[in-house]
Amino acid sequence: MTKKEEAGSIIKKAVDQGRKALSEYESKQVLAAYGVPVTREALARTPEEAVQAASRLGYPVVLKACSWQIMHKSEGGLVALNLGCEDDVKKAFDRISGRLSGPVDGMLVQEMVSGKRELVVGMNRDPQFGPCVMLGLGGIMTEILNDAVFRMAPVDMLEVEDMAGQLRCKKILDAFRGDGPVDREALFRCVSGAGQIGLDRETVAEIDINPVLVSSDGSVKAVDALIVLA
Amino acid sequence: MSTALEQHRLYRMTHPDSIAMFGASNNPSSMGTIILRALLAFRYPGKVYPVHPREKEVQGLKAYSRVGELPEAPDLAVIVLPTAIVCDTLEECGAKGIRNAVIVSGGFKEVGPEGAQREKRLVEIADKYGIKIIGPNCLGITNTHSRINTTPHSYRGNPGFIGMVSQSGSFVTQMFEYLDQFGLGFSTAFSIGNEANTDLVDCLEYLGTCPHTKVIALYVEAIRRGREFVETARKIVPEKPIVALYVGGSETGRKAALSHTGSMSGPDALYDGIFRQSGVIRASSITELFDLCMAFGRLPLPQGNRVFIQTHSGGPGAVAADACGRAGLELPSPSDQTRDALKDLVPATASIKNPIDLTFTKDVMQFFSTIPAALLSDPLCDLLMFYFYAPLEMIKRALIQIGVSKEELDKNLAGVLKSIAQQMKTLITKSKKPVVCFSYHNTSEPAVKALFDNDLPFYEGPERAVRTIQAMTTYMTLKEKIAAQDKAVQAGQTQASP
Repeated sequence: MTKKEEAGSIIKKAVDQGRKALSEYESKQVLAAYGVPVTREALARTPEEAVQAASRLGYPVVLKACSWQIMHKSEGGLVALNLGCEDDVKKAFDRISGRLSGPVDGMLVQEMVSGKRELVVGMNRDPQFGPCVMLGLGGIMTEILNDAVFRMAPVDMLEVEDMAGQLRCKKILDAFRGDGPVDREALFRCVSGAGQIGLDRETVAEIDINPVLVSSDGSVKAVDALIVLA
Repeated sequence: MSTALEQHRLYRMTHPDSIAMFGASNNPSSMGTIILRALLAFRYPGKVYPVHPREKEVQGLKAYSRVGELPEAPDLAVIVLPTAIVCDTLEECGAKGIRNAVIVSGGFKEVGPEGAQREKRLVEIADKYGIKIIGPNCLGITNTHSRINTTPHSYRGNPGFIGMVSQSGSFVTQMFEYLDQFGLGFSTAFSIGNEANTDLVDCLEYLGTCPHTKVIALYVEAIRRGREFVETARKIVPEKPIVALYVGGSETGRKAALSHTGSMSGPDALYDGIFRQSGVIRASSITELFDLCMAFGRLPLPQGNRVFIQTHSGGPGAVAADACGRAGLELPSPSDQTRDALKDLVPATASIKNPIDLTFTKDVMQFFSTIPAALLSDPLCDLLMFYFYAPLEMIKRALIQIGVSKEELDKNLAGVLKSIAQQMKTLITKSKKPVVCFSYHNTSEPAVKALFDNDLPFYEGPERAVRTIQAMTTYMTLKEKIAAQDKAVQAGQTQASP
């Protein structure tokens, strides 16, 4: 099975189960299959599995409760950032487990990525234009600052460059406060990947990749992602 | 060999040799009669066959009681009848062999489910006979170069270069006079109504092939075939600019979305991006829509965004420079060579920076000729903004000063105005660079009228001029982007093929 076929079967399984969305872990597998750079991560069901995963990924790590039904993880206290050792991971596992109000797929153990800049990339389906992609200023203020531009999928590199040029915040894509310029090729793969999923998979209604985090070297990674099903 | 225009499926619709007219009578206040009168007033050269159940003669033309009795199958039917009999009439038209219909009558999709049902039947009849419909619920079409006008407004003005597709009939008919004040006119304009089987994209594609159309204007409330729109626009834009006013975007009506992307993709933001992707320039008002059309149709395109401003008044020059700055246009200082060339032409008080402020004019005629010519020949200048202030009193005074008698004044005046406008025109022709005239004159000022008569643009206020310049530079950027994208696609295809 190719990666895109695997992505297709993840989506199909969720649709067959009547789910409204994919979990973060599934969403990122689908995005990765379409060339979107995502954080390295593993799903752990026990504190021991979480510790194993953490040592594989390298400290520090992030722990997040993982379920398609949890769309607002940080508000519910279901995310633990910057865990530096085994003990931190075990404690965080127990703490988050105690706050859960329903079943989860497990805990997502994730490499800790940091950076000053956060972007958002998305896909939405318009009744007239079909799958459309979005690029904007990301993070928790996304909707407040409302700095985002849209295009109809598919988009090529020149189109994504043009989108970036339309942002009010376009300057943060260049060298910024000691950090390097954003890897434009990787940013392009985020936007075009989201668009291609929309074109290939009719059952995908919406995609949010928020934030797409920009590291100090300018590399970009999808740190959180949500795929909403039709 | 026929042209792309002649091969287009809407060609007969806009170039009918004969028209069957339904709904016209000898009642002067009926809509059908008003339309027939507008058509006749335009001196439509083809045959017109009024169809009326009782009248023997309508507006001086022989009338026929049924379509079947017509001596030929006309190229076009114009239907302005009560809703209830429209479908049956179209059926009879189809049986007679008519293949194009403008249906002005309303009472279809726009009035709810019952109307939608009626419209469905209308389309079924059209499909059965292969009839193309403009409308229903529209004001029809105007092709000024072939003297066709199926709208209720008499066409006023000359044939023009603006192709228009409008989802509001008013922005076709009520623009006749509006455009005429600038000496502008439509080439062909479509009021598309409910778009039963011919939509905005079809008409856009047609105007792309129309040689009289130098620029296409769109009034958009909703694009139904979105992907086809983008594809069609991108094919046209390398050849001619498309300008669109979009006002459909109600932010409240959109569906509840689970994602940020969904909640932020309101129609206004979406259309904004998609117009850009299509190479379409978005206007923010009807005024701006036609301001842009005026420049696109009358000026060469600028090769960059470096503007020189020529003025003899400080304030207007400063305001123009401020507007340029905010629009992201550059204002370089003239080169040393240009300064040298200007030295002898301008008064000592003049400031040869940018704006180039002459403070007063040593020789009125040089203000319109040698000075702008020197500025335009500067390689640092992509475009000249020209403070065009020429009130009639000032020109009269200048004429009297050079010895023209009061009796001769009026005769000379027209000639002077014409020669000023022609000099401006020559500046553009010789430099191949746009000269954008602006001031606070209104369009009835004789010197401004003379500009329009010589097919030159003029803007009331520098802000409107600057917005237009910005649109021209954006068009250049988007055109280049589309060309680069098309080239990449072609290169990819060549690579892929063995």
